Amino acid sequence: MDELDPVIHAQARLRIMATLATLETDDSITFPRLQELLDMTAGNLSTHLRKLEEPAYVDITKTHRGRTPITYLALSKKGRRAFEDYMDTLRTVLGEQP
Amino acid sequence: MLALLNDQQRTVTAKMGQFVPLIMAAWGGAWLIGFGALFLIDGLSPAFSLPAGAAIGIFIAVLLIAIGLSIWLGVRSGRGVKSGSDFSGTVYGVTWSGGSFAIAAIGGGLLQAGMSPEIANLFYPSVFIFFVGIMYLAAGAIWRAVPSIVAGAYLLVLASVAPFIGYPWHYLFFAFAGGLGFLLFAILGRNLLNGSASYRTAGA
Repeated sequence: MDELDPVIHAQARLRIMATLATLETDDSITFPRLQELLDMTAGNLSTHLRKLEEPAYVDITKTHRGRTPITYLALSKKGRRAFEDYMDTLRTVLGEQP
Repeated sequence: MLALLNDQQRTVTAKMGQFVPLIMAAWGGAWLIGFGALFLIDGLSPAFSLPAGAAIGIFIAVLLIAIGLSIWLGVRSGRGVKSGSDFSGTVYGVTWSGGSFAIAAIGGGLLQAGMSPEIANLFYPSVFIFFVGIMYLAAGAIWRAVPSIVAGAYLLVLASVAPFIGYPWHYLFFAFAGGLGFLLFAILGRNLLNGSASYRTAGA
């Protein structure tokens, strides 16, 4: 817990994690809506999502509505825990009470 | 980093919740116009009297507009978000119609048992507003929305006070205390979303 999680500790990924963490535990969000909330380009968002997918912080579900493919994103249990740990560590580093 | 993080969550909350003040404003307008119209049936007579049919028509029309706008804005804000456990949401939605039918039935029963139209005039609005207040409180509890709890508690007060005011002045009371109250909530909510406070605590 002494070190900040390097996967999360990049501005873009931190913003993604923070945004996904505002969703309720069982909720997920489509790729375009997340992109809109973050104001990131599709390429940039996919790159960072892939980095978050490696340690299984983010659950990516691909499905179809009619013929249109839809990608749903959500924090995994592990991801939510990692984000909370990250917040606690950050607060400790900054000298705040976790 | 912590500031960036809090900032991001606040922005998301504001973007996802920016429809709430609009809904509140729509309801404020609906109450002001709708209950205002009901008041004008007898409130200013003999100087002026709005025909009951027209007043009830206006009341129902503004109510339907506010309901439609709420649904449209709610759906728009939730676009792209899929709810995993929709149990609470479904039960909540069904409770709205179930509760409304129950109130209509209780009122019908009381009318049959001899409740006078004068008392029905006091009974229906107060009991419906009481029910809406309870539903707001439930929504606040389920989705952890403090403004919803504040609005719900406010409605309980309005519903409890109104019968003591009596017909037709209780309609004026609903129009102003309720309508202006909601408009005030809308402004406060807007400032809250734009400002520093974030009302959604989940995951933050």
